[in-house]
Amino acid sequence: MMRMNLVLLLGVVLSALYLVNVQYESRRLFSELDRARAQAHKLEVDHERLQVEKRAQATSARIEGLAKSRLQMRPANPAITAYVAYTPDATGPAGAVAAANPVSMGRVK
Amino acid sequence: MSRSIAYHSSPLLASPTPVWRSKFIVAAIALAFVGLAARAVYIQVIGNDFFQRQGEVRFARTLALPANRGRILDRNGVILASSIPVPSIWAIPEDVDRNPEQLQKLAKLLGMSLPELNKKLQDEDKTFVWLKRQVDESVGKQIEALKIKGVYQRKEYKRQYPEGEAVAHVVGFTNVEDKGQEGMELTFNTDLGGRNGSRRVIKDRMGRVVEAVGDEIAPVDGRDLQLSIDSKVQFFAYQTVKEAVLQHKAKAGSVVVLDVLTGEVLALANYPSYVPDKRQNLSGEQLRNRALTDSFEPGSTMKPFIIGLAMDSGRVTPQTPIQTAPGRMTIGNSTISDSHTYSTLSVTEVIQKSSNVGTVKVAMQMPARAMWEMYSSVGFGQKPQVPFPGAVSGRLRPYKAWRPIEQATMSYGYGLSVSLMQLAHAYTVFGRDGDLVPLSMLKVTEPPVGQPVFKAKVARDVRHMLHLVTLPGGTATMAQTMGYSVGGKTGTAHKQEGKGYASKKYRGVFAGLAPIDAPRIAVAVMIDEPSNGKYFGGVTAAPVFSQTVQQTLRVLGIAPDMTVVPQVVTELVEESF
Repeated sequence: MMRMNLVLLLGVVLSALYLVNVQYESRRLFSELDRARAQAHKLEVDHERLQVEKRAQATSARIEGLAKSRLQMRPANPAITAYVAYTPDATGPAGAVAAANPVSMGRVK
Repeated sequence: MSRSIAYHSSPLLASPTPVWRSKFIVAAIALAFVGLAARAVYIQVIGNDFFQRQGEVRFARTLALPANRGRILDRNGVILASSIPVPSIWAIPEDVDRNPEQLQKLAKLLGMSLPELNKKLQDEDKTFVWLKRQVDESVGKQIEALKIKGVYQRKEYKRQYPEGEAVAHVVGFTNVEDKGQEGMELTFNTDLGGRNGSRRVIKDRMGRVVEAVGDEIAPVDGRDLQLSIDSKVQFFAYQTVKEAVLQHKAKAGSVVVLDVLTGEVLALANYPSYVPDKRQNLSGEQLRNRALTDSFEPGSTMKPFIIGLAMDSGRVTPQTPIQTAPGRMTIGNSTISDSHTYSTLSVTEVIQKSSNVGTVKVAMQMPARAMWEMYSSVGFGQKPQVPFPGAVSGRLRPYKAWRPIEQATMSYGYGLSVSLMQLAHAYTVFGRDGDLVPLSMLKVTEPPVGQPVFKAKVARDVRHMLHLVTLPGGTATMAQTMGYSVGGKTGTAHKQEGKGYASKKYRGVFAGLAPIDAPRIAVAVMIDEPSNGKYFGGVTAAPVFSQTVQQTLRVLGIAPDMTVVPQVVTELVEESF
């Protein structure tokens, strides 16, 4: 009887120690998870910020200004544009080729 | 010599201990245990809540989970407004290290003078003082690098508007608390705002979160708002109206571009405008969204509606001759006159030459009620359905109160007032088969159903007349644009001042459609008080129309419907099939 009690006592002590260990481990992991989450949020925010910054660098106003001042470009008009007609039901490969090659417009003087 | 004491025979010990003593000790110890037990019961049962709470206060924290304000996008998903956390600088005045050199640097970074900064830090009783809210990320980093004691940073959401002044009036802006104050930001504030969440956690000694307590209330992010605006069209519209206002030394100008097929607002630009991020020295002039909040007498731009109504009721055809000589006519004791005298004009020519007398002669054949009903059904005198703060309904008095002279002047656009948005919207009737679709500031996914106003043939005939206005012999040849056929009507209205009309103040207006055979867009332009010599709508507003149409149709990818002499030198590769 006495031996049985000793074994049970040992069991209780071991399980208690294990519980403490598990609790510690869980808290450590949770804290890590939390940090990872915060990191994810920060990255998301950074992503959003960079997107806005990218947009701010690519607004029509800025592009037009740069194109005019630095590259001496001017707005396009129909006289200097070659139009490529695209009809979805064009017969055979002709339509497909014409639509796929809008680059063949040539040089603008 | 040794003396020994025989303890066992000590007379003191010999006296028998009284029994009550030992009982007293036992009782005292027992009482102590009872005390402990009672305390344990008190702590764990009776006062449990209190102690639990006190314990929690020491390690549990409620963390706010701020919801992101939704973004505002244009029809192609381009960001027009987005909230980004930026550092805000605050301080505990008592703790601040008063090193003048350091403070000078700080003041410079914050963009204020040293006395200003010192004034903020002067009240030592305060435990929290904002030094500057929402500074740039780079400024925040530099301030952090200064490492001044007692100066801290906190992240706050700030609204960013990458497109700047071009879309300022449409998008509006938020205040420092990220709440909408103007424009779409205000109208859709609830949708954009979202709901903050929170969660309770246990923190350890180092401030790390180690456990979550209870359920987390997840934040609900605000919904993204997709407008019908096209940022490129918007930019070009703003650019052209700005140039026109500067060129004609005008007070202001507005332009509205509508999609005729869907009723969507593609662009709505006003000049003067403002940069939504920097609103320090804003004036009401800059803030006004004139296209919606200003109503004006539309002048001759009303004539096509009268002619349309007359044709719709079968009173006239485009070929019906109207005698306009001698260029004036008297109704009651008022005289209506034309700026040029013509003889007999056909109905088509009445529009093309913009004859007041001709229009009045047609209008006076119709009952006032029919005119009122037609004006109402194209939206005049009613609040436009666009959900915009401060949009005006204009003025259209009930027909029963019209005197004959008023009916006459109303036929050529005096005595009633409309906003530019209403004018553009009304013109979509001619662009479609005579029906009116609702306006929309948000992207439309399903084609809307229109309310019929005119017969399809009437709309087509009016389109032809509008086209002639822009051809040689019409009043607005400057509205022409390369590659695309256009049609529209000019209007030049004296500005009202007090009770009468100001003699030298005008408003140049142009409203039109393009491409005229199968219209895709309706554009209305208004130039307020041009003061550089020219003031006719055909000279001030029509060129803005021309450029806006050119750029809009190009952006929308619509092929020209007129032949253009190409100026392209191509090196086309011969393709063989």
